[in-house]
Amino acid sequence: MRLQRSPEPPPLARINVTPIIDVALVLVIILLVTAPMMSTSDLPVELPGAHARDLERPDFISVTVARDGRLAVDETAAAGIGDVPALVRGRLAAGRDRNRLVVVRADAALPHAVVRRLLEAAREGGARNLGLATAQIADGRP
Amino acid sequence: MNLRFGRRAPGEGPLAEINTTPLIDVSLVLVVILLLATPLTFESSFGVRKGDALAQPALVADRQDRVELTITGERQVEVNGRAVAVDQLAGALRPLLRPGSPREIAVACGDQVSHGAFVRVLDIARQNGAQTISVAGD
Repeated sequence: MRLQRSPEPPPLARINVTPIIDVALVLVIILLVTAPMMSTSDLPVELPGAHARDLERPDFISVTVARDGRLAVDETAAAGIGDVPALVRGRLAAGRDRNRLVVVRADAALPHAVVRRLLEAAREGGARNLGLATAQIADGRP
Repeated sequence: MNLRFGRRAPGEGPLAEINTTPLIDVSLVLVVILLLATPLTFESSFGVRKGDALAQPALVADRQDRVELTITGERQVEVNGRAVAVDQLAGALRPLLRPGSPREIAVACGDQVSHGAFVRVLDIARQNGAQTISVAGD
């Protein structure tokens, strides 16, 4: 009796591109979703903690002030509070929604006078909706 | 011409294993992205209205129903002119912000009081029923 070997499968000639397309599509979707969130400045800010949650809009203009006084509107550095109204006005004009939320992200250790001046500067720049950023404390009320 | 429809070549076994590589790839990318985005998702914010100075006479009629908070120190607050410690603030606000009332507060804060103390008071007010928060100007 003669044993007959089954024929060898042909070599894999094509690269399987399915995983790379999967990953690329997921990356595109994630970046589209998180792009508005990533526009905040990376200045070091220790936000004051709060239990209550209030405004949860993903699309907002951030005015960030670090403990050492450095300022930024979204990711653009500002030389001083005097620059903030023009920067906020430019951001509002660039977007479709003139009522976009403007959130002041201020370090918890800063004196309140600084935050109040920033709120005034944002309003001077045309902001109609203002918010103060907080760090969510776990076990807070929804 | 020899056409075969839906039949495997001889020696070619059925596909027994599910290819999990794409699933693992996508999961790892999701984990990395979520790790990066986590600090941002834990940010929230309070909506505030930029109010007028508390002593402004034009607003006397409007001021009758709203609660006026004045933060005089890191742990000291005045509720409608009455000094209250921050620890007792919730108890002092609850009857003033009961359902049916305007649930509006106007907050004035000393210049040198820290932003953290200011937000702590807003948080207590919000948790006890305040719906509209006006920050008094200069």
